[in-house]
Amino acid sequence: MIRLIVPMAVRSWKIWLRLLASAVMLTAAATACASDSSVPLVEARAQEVNKSLMCPVCPGESIDQSQHPRAEVMRSVVGEKIEAGWTDDEIRQFFVERYGPSVLLDPPREGMAWLVWAVPPVILLAAGVALYLVLRFAVRSAGRSRGSRASEEDLSDHERSEYYERIEEVIGLDAEPQPGSQSPAGTQNADGAGEAVAR
Amino acid sequence: MLVDAGFVALFVAFVVGGYVMAASFLGARIHAPALVLSARYGMMTTPALLLTSTLALVYAFVTDDFSVRYVAENSSRALPDAYTWVALYAGNAGSLLFIATVYSILSVVAVVGLSRSLPYTAPYATGVMSMVLTFFLGVIVFLANPLERLPVALVDGQGINPLLIHFGMFIHPPMQMMGLISVAIPFAIAIGALLAGRGGRDEWVDQGRLWGMISWLILTIGLLLGAWWAYTILGWGGYWAWDPVENSALMPWLAMTAFVHSIMVQKRRGMFRMWNIVLVSVAFVLAEMGMFINRGGPVPSVHSFAQSTMGWVFLGFMAFTLLAALAAFTWRVDTLKSRESVESMLSRESALLTQNVLFLAVAFITLWGTIYPVFSEAASDVVITVGRPFFDRVNGPILLVLVFLMGVGPLLPWRRANARNVLGILKWPLAGAGLTVITLAVLGVREPLALLGVAVCVMTFVGVGHEWLRGSRTRHKRGESYPLAFIRLLGANRPRYGGYVVHLGIAVLALGVIGSSFYAVQRDFNMSIGETASLGGYDFAYVNVDSRAFSDRIETTARFDVSRSGSRIGTMDARRTFYVDHGVAATRAAIRSTPIEDFYIVPSEFTEAGDAVFRVYVNPVVWWMWAAGPLFVLGAVLALSPRRRTVPASLPLPKGVRHATL
Repeated sequence: MIRLIVPMAVRSWKIWLRLLASAVMLTAAATACASDSSVPLVEARAQEVNKSLMCPVCPGESIDQSQHPRAEVMRSVVGEKIEAGWTDDEIRQFFVERYGPSVLLDPPREGMAWLVWAVPPVILLAAGVALYLVLRFAVRSAGRSRGSRASEEDLSDHERSEYYERIEEVIGLDAEPQPGSQSPAGTQNADGAGEAVAR
Repeated sequence: MLVDAGFVALFVAFVVGGYVMAASFLGARIHAPALVLSARYGMMTTPALLLTSTLALVYAFVTDDFSVRYVAENSSRALPDAYTWVALYAGNAGSLLFIATVYSILSVVAVVGLSRSLPYTAPYATGVMSMVLTFFLGVIVFLANPLERLPVALVDGQGINPLLIHFGMFIHPPMQMMGLISVAIPFAIAIGALLAGRGGRDEWVDQGRLWGMISWLILTIGLLLGAWWAYTILGWGGYWAWDPVENSALMPWLAMTAFVHSIMVQKRRGMFRMWNIVLVSVAFVLAEMGMFINRGGPVPSVHSFAQSTMGWVFLGFMAFTLLAALAAFTWRVDTLKSRESVESMLSRESALLTQNVLFLAVAFITLWGTIYPVFSEAASDVVITVGRPFFDRVNGPILLVLVFLMGVGPLLPWRRANARNVLGILKWPLAGAGLTVITLAVLGVREPLALLGVAVCVMTFVGVGHEWLRGSRTRHKRGESYPLAFIRLLGANRPRYGGYVVHLGIAVLALGVIGSSFYAVQRDFNMSIGETASLGGYDFAYVNVDSRAFSDRIETTARFDVSRSGSRIGTMDARRTFYVDHGVAATRAAIRSTPIEDFYIVPSEFTEAGDAVFRVYVNPVVWWMWAAGPLFVLGAVLALSPRRRTVPASLPLPKGVRHATL
């Protein structure tokens, strides 16, 4: 990546464009090759079903990914059922009857599992509304106060002094000749002095 | 002997931690500098004490001291020597000790920096840090002591979980644990500033951002290494499965990502003061959640290496953290009024706020999906599994929007933009994305989501590239050569351009994810020696099999002769190791990785004759995911690298300051 990035920006934009183009070509070539699939339809279907079923003895893993013997058995059952002409849902239902609903990695859109699907849109919607309201409120209050601080000259004395105080504070802290390294007492004095100034 | 000394050191560290906490808070509250100073020095002793304990444990592992219970449970004589050095974090108690040790070191580094730059905040921040440390040490001392002795020494230990015997063991667990605990430091700095009543001044922002970025980087590397480890050892051709423990490491990462962005707004514009404190608190609570789930939490997971019931103690501490942060926030909320506010719906500030909200939404949706099984069981006695399909479908689109914002947001001006200049800014990125989509569609990529995903990634590439080009050209006109101009440009605004490098990394990572999620090909082959098969343009011949017995395991290695489109690539070895005592098999996939695609073979069980089912994958562009790692490091280091501050010469120096270091 570094090899790619450095010339990308240090040389002229033509090279950069060419690199981009070749990256695009690479991606395209890769995806084009891969999608030219040699996997039979039946196996592809079995993979999809396998990926939606949890291995009951290896929590969190699908039977497609698990190497547990139980998962192997379940995979072959899925294969047999597909050969026998079952639909994907029938196969899933078969496993639900044997292992309970927890065998489904993809929660069904019904019953208790419906709730898990319902909450994310609610979270998003609530977040969106809150964001909009906050932004609108902020923009309005900014609009109201804009006149009073249009430029630096318009600062009130109080604001100006606060501003300078902040600058001094930053510089003062930066310029401290390494208080910590001299003596512990020195550090405390410096702190105490700072406290006094701030108050 | 050393083991007992290690325990003494551990106990002393616990007592010191408690003292530091009390002395820091009290000293800061009643303005007793000596007390504060004693606490700071106390904090500085903890790394030495904890390193002693850690070394004692490592020593027990390396010397096969099976009189120590934890060593007997997590090691054996057959364990390869190299792994005895890292076996200390194979189980629960040892990983806690590891976390505490790493955390004490990070804390001391942070405290030294803080006491220099934030004298008022430092004592409170030290107090918060030591509170977290003391909690961990208390758990270790009283609930999970890794240095506890057995009544009788065993002849041999039970051995390590075989899945942990992998090169990744040396880097992923320590990184991940360090990442999770490191979130405590920006949290402590923020809460410290809040308690000191200085949250409204933006002075904590630099330190908060520094530690936020450090924490973000460690978490990122930890996650990436975990993905890589899963890819090479778990043998299912994937790298991310939305497993509960993966989720729990991702959630604090999401919140930290939001934080390192919004803290920049406070740095630049003095806004989002309350929000930043909320964000970093959320990040820390989520990190604790991560540790809770990993320590035998209630959600079953592939990562359950360290089961125990102490998860509930963590849950309690998490609740305490949440309440304490909330209390501190409520107490000091009047100090947090922002200097300015967002001026336009269309500005970089508003884009960043949107990004923050979306990151948190992903984090909470992930949390919801992760804990839902427990929730459903409690509510209705039916366990509902929430697996990968849910997370892919719900989080996928939001993450896509976030990648889009990543391309657009940094190009928007601060304060306000209008529709016209936004179009001007987005001209090139949009053109690049459109061109890419058309090219890909012509070449045969038809999946709409994949096209959309690639388009938003390209927007980031073009946006960043255009900014760099424009900046370099401006400098070039002033007489600098292009390479010099580019380097000077990066140096001139390091937080900005470092961030761009990280953004490029994310876009590269996203490309890898998109390619491999939509276009991976997988197939199982039942093969005997001498047979040949092909998939995705690769032809592979099963040449021979080699089986070797060790004292604890049997390694069976299948050798393949692989060629692609007629030209020979070479041999590839796929291995399956059966650990007799554990009855567990671990595989080592044969992977040939190129920037275009990975060819991946993983064996299942072998018969006597050497027949086996091999699962073969062709995973396009996965390589780019790992390539993103160096970009993250590079970008974060650039963004954090200090820049000499120049003070205008006309500004008078404050009284008492003799000279300013320029």
